[in-house]
Amino acid sequence: MIVEVKLNVVITGVGGQGLITLANVIANAALREGVNSIVAETHGLSQRGGTVIVHVRLGDVEAPLIPKGEGDLMLSMELLEAARYLDFLSKDAEIVVNDYLLPPPLPGIEVPSRNFILNVLNRWKVFTVPATSKALQLGDPRSANMVLLGKALKHTKLGEFISLNSVLETVRELWPKAYEINKRAIEVGMA
Amino acid sequence: MPKYQEVIEEAGRTKVMLGNAAIARGFLEAGLQYAASYPGTPSTEITEALEYASSKLGWPYVEWSVNEKVALESAAGAALVGLRAFSGMKHVGLNVAADPFFSIAYLGIEGALVVVSADDPWMWSSQNEQDNRIYGVHAYVPVIEPRGAQEAKEAAKLSLDWSARFKRPILLRITTRIAHTRVPISLGSLRKHENVPFFQKNPKRYTLVPEFAREHRIRLLEDWEKIRKEFSDFPLNTIEMSGSVAVVASGIGYRYAKEAIKELEADVTVFGVSTPVPMPSKFLEKLTEYDEIIVIEEGEPVVEGQIRSHLQARDSNARVYGKMDGSLRVYGELDLSEVRELIGRVLNIKVEKRRTEIIQLNIPPRPPVLCAGCPYRSYFYALKRVINRNRVNPIYSGDIGCYSLGISPPFEVQDIILDMGASISAGGGIAKAFEGDPKTVVVSIIGDSTFFHSGVESLINVVYNQIPLLVIILDNFTTAMTGHQPHPGIGGFVGKRERKRIDIEGVIRGIGVEEVEVVDAFDIRNSEEGTEKALKYVLEHRKPAVVVARGACALVALAEARRSGVDVPKYVVDESKCTACGICYTAFNCPAILKKEDGKAWIDPSLCIGCGQCEQVCPFGAFVPTFKNERWDQLLRTAKPR
Repeated sequence: MIVEVKLNVVITGVGGQGLITLANVIANAALREGVNSIVAETHGLSQRGGTVIVHVRLGDVEAPLIPKGEGDLMLSMELLEAARYLDFLSKDAEIVVNDYLLPPPLPGIEVPSRNFILNVLNRWKVFTVPATSKALQLGDPRSANMVLLGKALKHTKLGEFISLNSVLETVRELWPKAYEINKRAIEVGMA
Repeated sequence: MPKYQEVIEEAGRTKVMLGNAAIARGFLEAGLQYAASYPGTPSTEITEALEYASSKLGWPYVEWSVNEKVALESAAGAALVGLRAFSGMKHVGLNVAADPFFSIAYLGIEGALVVVSADDPWMWSSQNEQDNRIYGVHAYVPVIEPRGAQEAKEAAKLSLDWSARFKRPILLRITTRIAHTRVPISLGSLRKHENVPFFQKNPKRYTLVPEFAREHRIRLLEDWEKIRKEFSDFPLNTIEMSGSVAVVASGIGYRYAKEAIKELEADVTVFGVSTPVPMPSKFLEKLTEYDEIIVIEEGEPVVEGQIRSHLQARDSNARVYGKMDGSLRVYGELDLSEVRELIGRVLNIKVEKRRTEIIQLNIPPRPPVLCAGCPYRSYFYALKRVINRNRVNPIYSGDIGCYSLGISPPFEVQDIILDMGASISAGGGIAKAFEGDPKTVVVSIIGDSTFFHSGVESLINVVYNQIPLLVIILDNFTTAMTGHQPHPGIGGFVGKRERKRIDIEGVIRGIGVEEVEVVDAFDIRNSEEGTEKALKYVLEHRKPAVVVARGACALVALAEARRSGVDVPKYVVDESKCTACGICYTAFNCPAILKKEDGKAWIDPSLCIGCGQCEQVCPFGAFVPTFKNERWDQLLRTAKPR
């Protein structure tokens, strides 16, 4: 798969949802395709159930961070965290979002509704997928990130940069024991 | 695949690696023999990766020291007798280690010594921004700064080799976007170094009494000019392309500059700098040929300042664009669009703004919180109940670690956060100041690893001076915030090498604390009883008391349960018993417990780990476990990181 130019992928969600893992799978799959990648992660304090953004840049890129307004694709594991980082997207970006709303655990705060958020996201090209509930059905909530990835591979520009096969080979290499469940999660996302 | 497997993979392969793992690999390719560090984001994974390598290869020696000062001294000792050594820390760690850092610069070393400072611009996981290249300027320690994660491995390797060549310590300065950026890295050969230690008595060489220190000082200044010249030929310093405008880009700044220049198709000369301190003489000299110079660097204008003073010494009228004239922000991280706009502006290239309209959505903040199942939550809940019941005015003196998250509602038990260990010493100062007020109680809250880091001296100080202070040591058997490193309170093994466990209560009693309570942090009633006893002791005797609140980090317990096949229960809400009182999601506030539209509680099964805290909090018995598993309850009280 030969790719020109670049793809800026903004991955967002809540610390603990497997965002770094998701980015790592994309980067390793890209390497298998001979595509350059840069992944800028958030570790430490920010990971403890807080808001997280991971910058994944594929192709002809040098710098680690995606500037605001220049994201081509957003993969979000949670609705509020998708809405929070919309200013990172270009106007013709695509969004793949987990249909999962997790209110921040602060007592007495007001949280926008699912429909309100989806309405805003609809200004872009949006694909929703119930990744968390599908993953729970599969028996491991940790595989939700792979459901989301499956959806993105099938429907967005990400599929032009990395193939399903590279993704599966990567998953097999990184977690041989969890290969089957992650493979199923990806397939569920693509279905 | 183990987390750091790529660090010991065979040469010739290309692997996607975290910048920090690449640095560890670089050290192994340069024959590192000795590593001593204290964890701190974003530096931790270098030493973690080395620890993994050591467990597989049998080399190098790797230790988690108790704090950064001790770590740097430990590594300096090994380097003084001829070994190749490294010490890693976050930027504020170098403040703790500043004393030996300045002194080892005078002594120099016989082997090699690289100190890694991981700076954290925009404070993703830190209390301040610091550009520690300035420590290099201050202490006369040469600084190497990788030009992005892409060159992290190579820069680490060269820093060890060049330290050996200069016989002086080198500061390898990285920033968050080098440390925590993953890129493809091609692997070279591992090199096991066989340097054997040697030492010959020579006080003139190895001691810093004034008479000898003066000679060291003079030699250091002479060497500094030599190093400035030799850095001109450092392999990762490059002059590329050509144009009438110079772009000087140091460290990660090089990547932003390169991408911006490529996009703009700008005709410039690029000075790519990996040795910002001291700036290589050849670069400074060559820059006098330009009338316009743009400087891109992350942090303070360290390179820019050196360029400006050199230009001034040469009576140059060149215009310099950087941080000193406000062309770029001094705070935060570099931004590709800002770099692009600056280069475009200087070269008269039109740059389209790509930012979209800002959408005002009022998304509620999501600060990091204590995880579901964290023993600190149940302990904080108990602590607040004890304080309220005794009608005292608490001042919570906080510290650096997961318990810093107690700053948020509903707990708000971190009124002051200063630096590591300060909960006890600053708390002591506050308690002394309020000594005449019998209703005010100062509660110092510190974690186990932070206690060993610098809380011990602080506790000695408050005991020695008999200050009425309630000290809470939260012991979760790990350095949790940085990703579960061990500390002296745990003991354990690295490969076959044993680490001895240092008993926290033994230390506290040895210091002379007369009232010590040990409680089960998962057990709210038990926590309240012990804490109340200690509080009453402080109020009555006007002396310090310590509570050790114990419970495993839930993440460690969960990982252990998965490894050893222990079934983890989940809790569910019995709707017939829930009265929608809201105690669980307001006063207790577990992130797995959510408020439904009717006000009743709902437990998110993807977050609940069956810790059983909510069962103790609910007055109506509405939380019920899917099953009970004693082995899981046991793990929550004992699990330690592997």
